[in-house]
Amino acid sequence: MLISVENVTRKYEVGGETVHALRGVSFQVSKGEWCAIVGQSGSGKSTLMNILGCLDTPNSGRYMLNGHDVSQMDDDALADIRNREIGFIFQTFQLLPRETSLANVELPLVYRGIGAKERRERAIAALQKVGLEHRMHHRPNELSGGQRQRVAVARALVAEPSLLLADEPTGNLDSATGEEIIHLFEELHAAGHTLVLVTHEPSLAARCPRAIRITDGQIVADGVGSEVAFPPAPTGT
Amino acid sequence: MSFKVDAGENARIAIQALRANRMRTVLTTVGIGIGVATLLAIVGVIQGLNASFAEQLNKLGANGLYVSRSPSIVIGDWWKYRNRPDLTPEHAEALRPLLTRAELVVPSTSTRGDVTREGNELTSISITGTEEGYLLSRGYTMAAGRFLTAGEAQSNQRVTVLGADAASGLFPVGSAVGQTVKIEGQSYRVVGVLAAKGKVLTENPDLVAVIPMGVFRQQFGTFRSIQIGVIAKEGVSLDSLEDEVLGAMRRVRRLDPTEDENFNINRPEMLAKTYDQLTGALFAVAGGIGFITLLVGGIGIMNIMLVSVRERTREIGIRRALGARRRTIVIQFLFESAAVSAFGGFLGAVVGLGSVRIVAEISPLAAVVDPMVLIGGIVFSGLVGLIFGIWPAARAANLDPIEALRHE
Repeated sequence: MLISVENVTRKYEVGGETVHALRGVSFQVSKGEWCAIVGQSGSGKSTLMNILGCLDTPNSGRYMLNGHDVSQMDDDALADIRNREIGFIFQTFQLLPRETSLANVELPLVYRGIGAKERRERAIAALQKVGLEHRMHHRPNELSGGQRQRVAVARALVAEPSLLLADEPTGNLDSATGEEIIHLFEELHAAGHTLVLVTHEPSLAARCPRAIRITDGQIVADGVGSEVAFPPAPTGT
Repeated sequence: MSFKVDAGENARIAIQALRANRMRTVLTTVGIGIGVATLLAIVGVIQGLNASFAEQLNKLGANGLYVSRSPSIVIGDWWKYRNRPDLTPEHAEALRPLLTRAELVVPSTSTRGDVTREGNELTSISITGTEEGYLLSRGYTMAAGRFLTAGEAQSNQRVTVLGADAASGLFPVGSAVGQTVKIEGQSYRVVGVLAAKGKVLTENPDLVAVIPMGVFRQQFGTFRSIQIGVIAKEGVSLDSLEDEVLGAMRRVRRLDPTEDENFNINRPEMLAKTYDQLTGALFAVAGGIGFITLLVGGIGIMNIMLVSVRERTREIGIRRALGARRRTIVIQFLFESAAVSAFGGFLGAVVGLGSVRIVAEISPLAAVVDPMVLIGGIVFSGLVGLIFGIWPAARAANLDPIEALRHE
């Protein structure tokens, strides 16, 4: 099991009030799965995504990622595990604006302590996978939105993490470009990568082989994407 | 697995960040640059002062000491020396047979006066009355003619030896030797011209007329206390010479063992001590000013780094998400602030060196800069950047990655 989440809770203090963002969440994801986490804003999906991404730790419960117990890790260990195990793909791309595509893609390898020459070779290979090797010396502002997201995907792939974690990856793209990215994800899934996609769009989640629907900090449905992505119609209509 | 980020990568990030805000970087470096330039200029001038002072000591004759009525530089209660008895040439005569460790015992005294020669006039130049040993004891050499002889010194002949500048001032064309000049109205025959020694601070040892001691006392009176130069024999230390001179002078002056000395033995290094006292205070004040300027520059850097951290919050979030540890972020920002500061230090060092050069050109001070001071300036300003970068870097590292990624 690549991901094993057991009864995870997370609460925040906001203005003196306690917000229970996650109220005991449990699920598992195997290697090679493509799974969507779908929910409306405020459902707790962002909190879950932060915990899955090792950017945050749960208040209680256990999160195992690729055999590591993340719930007890200190800040340095979390940074290291993010570097090794997770490839992030963000809605807003999160590329460094002053760096070229190549330098952006190299970044995870910089923090892994890999030498310049090997970094370069691996970054070029990753850019080739997303079909952007001809744009590697361009800065983000010289690229289209779709190209930027491809650079971000290349950056997520370059360090060969066990998990690709995408947060609303098509949210800032027009539908045609979004479609390209989804195709790219399909290819990555076919190539054996494990993908977790966090989204508020049921139509996107419906295209994933599996979807977990979350409401008010709890999992309300977990199954085949097309079956559980859409919330059930309220009774009585 | 190593998570060490190499220095090259940090340097690249720092240069990129600094280049992205060129104007801001330049303005920041100016602050630290001024501090370093000030410090360097001050150090340069003081080193120059030291060098020219050391040179002056050499010209005075470092292997000798001087007996006089009072110290050469009096700080404080100068009046306590007022009632001491004068030193006379007779003291020198009495001293000479008592000193076994001395090579030369040379009485000398001087005043200021006008030296003229039909149409050419030198006003208020140094007129020195002395003996034949003076040439050697003061480290002069002859350019033309000869120095005063022992015979002339005894026989009170009106002869003079002119310093190089005095000779050229009075005799712009032709040789001075054999000519006649008037010193304060009295005629003297020029028997020799001294080779130029070069200016020492404000004193010009080449603008001088040297005459026999006896003639000097005839013309200018005997009320003047003289100075007795004592030059050590080869291999005799100044300490042992001073011991001997002290004992001999006490005998000549017939002092009881309980009485204080009523004369003074000046050593060039005592002069150096006085000099150190004077420049030490100057150095402390100037150093303080330079330090405060650096402090202000350092605060400027801290300010800019805080702005930079704020502007680059997203960047920090991205780096943290991709696996940068807190320490890595700290090092990145420290590197940046040290780099901008060291760059300012480099610019300041160049400006400081330039101003030291200018001081050396336009003033009598021989200002010099030790290249180590230059390197020190760059390293020191880098350290200032490092210290003032700590707080901004810590702030950057302590940002919550989740919040930082959301930052607009």
